[in-house]
Amino acid sequence: MKGNRIVAAILSAAMIVGMTACSGGGANTSSAAANSQTADKLTIWAWDDTFNVKAANEAKEAYAKINPDASVDVVSMAQNDIVAKLNTAFESGNMDGMPNIVLIEDYRIQNYLKSYPGVLSDLSDVTKPDKFMDYKLKTMTEEGKVYGVPFDSGAACVFYRTDLIEQAGYKASDMENLTWDKFIEIGKAVKAKTGKAMLYIDPSDLGLIRMLMQSAGKWYVDADGKADIANNAALKEALTIYKKMESEGITITTSGWDAGVSAVNESKVATAVQGCWYASSIKKAADQSGKWAVAPFPKMSNVSGAVNASNCGGASWYVIDKVPGKDTAKDFLSKTFASDTELLDNLCKDISLVNTYKDVASGKNVNTPDAFFSSQPIYKNWNDWTQNIPAVNYGTSTYDIESKMTEAVQSIINGASIDDTLKNTQTEVEGIVSAAG
Amino acid sequence: MSGNPNTVAKQRQNQPNRHSLEKRLNRWGWIFVSLSIVLITIFVFIPMIGALIMSFQTGKGVNMHFGGLTNYIRLFHDQTVGKALGNTFVYLIFQVPVMLILALIISVLLNDKNLKGRTFFRVAIFLPCITSLVSYSLIMKSIFSNDGIFNQMLANIGLSPIMWTTDPFWAKVLIIISITWRWTGYNMIFYLSGMQNIEPSIYEAAEIDGANFLQKLTHMTIPLLKPIILFTTITSTIGTLQLFDEVQNITQGGPANGTITISQYIYNLCFKYTPNFGYAAAVAFIVVALTMLLSIIQMKVGGKENQ
Repeated sequence: MKGNRIVAAILSAAMIVGMTACSGGGANTSSAAANSQTADKLTIWAWDDTFNVKAANEAKEAYAKINPDASVDVVSMAQNDIVAKLNTAFESGNMDGMPNIVLIEDYRIQNYLKSYPGVLSDLSDVTKPDKFMDYKLKTMTEEGKVYGVPFDSGAACVFYRTDLIEQAGYKASDMENLTWDKFIEIGKAVKAKTGKAMLYIDPSDLGLIRMLMQSAGKWYVDADGKADIANNAALKEALTIYKKMESEGITITTSGWDAGVSAVNESKVATAVQGCWYASSIKKAADQSGKWAVAPFPKMSNVSGAVNASNCGGASWYVIDKVPGKDTAKDFLSKTFASDTELLDNLCKDISLVNTYKDVASGKNVNTPDAFFSSQPIYKNWNDWTQNIPAVNYGTSTYDIESKMTEAVQSIINGASIDDTLKNTQTEVEGIVSAAG
Repeated sequence: MSGNPNTVAKQRQNQPNRHSLEKRLNRWGWIFVSLSIVLITIFVFIPMIGALIMSFQTGKGVNMHFGGLTNYIRLFHDQTVGKALGNTFVYLIFQVPVMLILALIISVLLNDKNLKGRTFFRVAIFLPCITSLVSYSLIMKSIFSNDGIFNQMLANIGLSPIMWTTDPFWAKVLIIISITWRWTGYNMIFYLSGMQNIEPSIYEAAEIDGANFLQKLTHMTIPLLKPIILFTTITSTIGTLQLFDEVQNITQGGPANGTITISQYIYNLCFKYTPNFGYAAAVAFIVVALTMLLSIIQMKVGGKENQ
């Protein structure tokens, strides 16, 4: 019976491998939207019902006037699910059920372009490089070809509560040309006078670190895609700032995206340092209308090359090459997001879209002040700031690296030395980057 | 395994036909099992071999090539694997014994024939395990979120709130609480059905001999339930090694990978990060090795007498 035991052990082990192996295939077949056989039927995937899905729907209406024969189907799906489906389909090469047009976050696109060449269509004839902002185009260009149509800007900024900042003894003019030292100083005053935190921090989401790095033109990897952790002065300074805010007690900790948004909506924090698309989340708290204002991203004073501008997130439209209907898809994008200034200007009003299409800067809605944000011309501001965002190479593995970085940040906050921790992380990140190469 | 149905037929048959009949029965036997053999080969063994081959490949996306032991070497330097293994063992060492002891105690209490409403209690305790993994995880998440019901209760009785989801220690405790809540009833059912098979007269005999409740439990119930305890230990261990849904939904592995499990790391490597299926397969084989090892140990330790 001893043999049986070993057989039983092997079988139970086999079941586990079976499960991991199956989970790869399962997601692939599940989406039943295997259609788009006819050339005039388009499917578009996007992930935010209040934002990019709405934009796709407005583009659909605009396109219906140009090409009434085309039927466009906009599908809303969680971003994680889109990524999981893209990963599976691209890996297996089976595009059944995949959409014609898909929205992909800028941090991820390099990986798809490098890992799966030929899967996404070359859109060089759709996207006119001189019409779009440079930093955005750089992420979707591979060997001289442009593969996407830029969508939203992630211009980073400080959303702040004017009432709380005033109670702390500061004015709107103090918020202009901020440095992080000044930001922390104001944070301490806010904490002392109002008892509120300056901003919320999610230990699993290092968006702030990313923004800080990019404001100095740096990233987790250098221009050649090599790991740039241990000797990255911008990253070190970013971590120092992060740790200082934590130790000065001007932050509150949240877990998960929604918890962060509700901390803002429930007046638990005086500011939110985020990409400009965060405006729609802030506007959820209608009772706070007029109490918010927007200031440029603070500057890191101890790092050379740092500016008062950065980026957080942002995404672009891509066409999947092997899905039937490629030409209609390209036509759709070229007549909507790649050229229709009226559509883009309307989107500014409807979904607070800050576009990276240069001509939109003169649009009517772009130059209209927003009452929610103390009647500031926020869209114009964001458009201006977008032009100063330093371009960086996001590399192929932002989220893998970030997962390691969250561990590093945790131990740095618990008192480990920044230099030693980053030296360790450097080795690990080199492992990730070389495995991907 | 030795209870071969052929032997019955064999005895009834006269000698001359024995061989041909045995052959015929064997043939039918093979035909009956062939379908499941084919299916298990296609859906389990071939993917297994595929996964093993994949675990030796490195590269980007579609440009995979043979990389020797690269993935396995990286695995030993990967601190997240270490962290995930550490977390999994913390769950294993604390959660499995707590849950099984709890299940045993509850089932002993609910096995009492004089207890009023015991069907109700049985159903109530079993009920968590028919809820969907995702929905119960989301409920746990909302109860234990930093400004959730639990912390409000703590605040009402004057205690400081516990940072369940953002403190690495308490996040692990939360995961342990959740899976214990979900799976205790499931294991209780096994113990209860095991206890039905224990002859009541031996308890009567023990009572006449003056055995108290504790003596009956430790000297009779537990030894007689040993095969079932072994079974639940193995299934719970394997279940813990595969833990995914709860962690994914309650903490998403956070804070800073403080609650990440091996299965979740495999998922992240495939579907959340830049896809690296080769490395993910290599990590999956760690789970295979561990499950085999643990199962063999458990059978060696606890399996002797039930053979």
